[in-house]
Amino acid sequence: MQTLERRIVKQKKDQRPVFLLVLTLAVLLTLNLAAVNSRLALFWIFGLAFGFVLQKSRFCFAAALRDPFITGSTSLLRAVILALILMTITFPLIQYYGLIIGNGELLGFVRPVGIHTAAGGFLFGFGMVIAGGCATGTLMRVGEGFSMQMIALGGFLIGTLWGAWDYPRWETVFIKNSPTIHLPDILGWSGAVLLQIVTLGAIFYLAKKYDERNNIML
Amino acid sequence: MLNNYFKEPWSYTTGAVVLAFLNTMLFIMVDKPWQITTGFTYWAAWIYQGLGGSPELWPYFAESSSRAQALTQGFFSNDLSLMDFGIIVGALLAVLLASQFKFKKIKSFKQFSAALLGGIIMGYGTRIAMGCNIGAFFSSIPSLSLGGWVFAVSAFLGAWVGGKVLIKYLL
Amino acid sequence: MAETRINCLYDNCPIPLLKAMQQLKKMSVGDTLVIETDHSCAMVNFIEWTQKNSIPCEIVEVDNGEWEIILRKVK
Repeated sequence: MQTLERRIVKQKKDQRPVFLLVLTLAVLLTLNLAAVNSRLALFWIFGLAFGFVLQKSRFCFAAALRDPFITGSTSLLRAVILALILMTITFPLIQYYGLIIGNGELLGFVRPVGIHTAAGGFLFGFGMVIAGGCATGTLMRVGEGFSMQMIALGGFLIGTLWGAWDYPRWETVFIKNSPTIHLPDILGWSGAVLLQIVTLGAIFYLAKKYDERNNIML
Repeated sequence: MLNNYFKEPWSYTTGAVVLAFLNTMLFIMVDKPWQITTGFTYWAAWIYQGLGGSPELWPYFAESSSRAQALTQGFFSNDLSLMDFGIIVGALLAVLLASQFKFKKIKSFKQFSAALLGGIIMGYGTRIAMGCNIGAFFSSIPSLSLGGWVFAVSAFLGAWVGGKVLIKYLL
Repeated sequence: MAETRINCLYDNCPIPLLKAMQQLKKMSVGDTLVIETDHSCAMVNFIEWTQKNSIPCEIVEVDNGEWEIILRKVK
């Protein structure tokens, strides 16, 4: 494009000394945790890694579900689907191994599915667009220095406490009577994995087509 | 040149592959995949205890041995709490490495209310759906759980309504 | 060849992009739009959206964690 007039660019501070300071504190905490319980240190390190990767790649689950409606972009949605396809290969192997060779317990997050899942999911989807980020997005942006997400985190904590207080009501009415459905119980292991990968692949393809056709301009 | 390398964001695809890898490694090492909001619930319960409340008597905490045990722990002695705190510090490290940290103020009362209300609605939703975009979606669909799909479709619909509200009232 | 500036500091995603879309509609061909933002995700957003819509776009990091996104209306 034609040269634009020169912008006033301020002398920026090099923040990498602060990086080293925070990194040192993080390493010290790791060592302290490891002295108490190596499991705690492991969770802490995974948290750091997740946060670093989320920020570095600007990965935002709220935007993945919201942008198709607002800007017509599905690039983040497709990235989420790609990750889901990759994990649909690894997770069932871990589950299968756990069931056959381990202690017979089904690992992973397979929970009762019913009205409560749909109601909670809808509230969550609505809330994250209004608050400017989902749970991970909120944490990541607190780290980036956004006051708005610090308020959202405060609201989030109030909401979880309220939900925990109300939980027995949901449990007696919905959760207790809802089935826990693990897809391999219905489709078999290979059937469930294949069907899920094909479905995710089809959504990926449709999302790409949707993105190419859509030029949302408010 | 090294500085530019730290500033350059990774592609979404790179992020997706690395997150899938990390989630798989976590699942292998601790028998549980990634989750966020149960840790939030503990944070909230500890704060409430600090204010004089007794959430440990509520059925939600009392009737689950793992949750009851978690409430006896603290911010730095609970695994899920540490993982959530790690995300904040990990993101801070990434921003500092790029020299792009800036403290951002609240823009308006409208923004403040949206953040607070949105947060409360999200928080409530995660308890009844038993998870957020991570626990009930990102870790649940690969667990071959039908619940993960139901959550994803519902959150997508919620985001659609949220988008309408955002454009109408918050823009 | 007017230049419009919009202040999107402290605005959360996707508000900077939405404000830019609204503003671009009101402008005439050849005009320049400068968006001031401090949201790191906006960069990636704007690059993708302007490429898709063939809008010339330049991003300058003006301060720590602060950017100016310069767009030109061409059609």
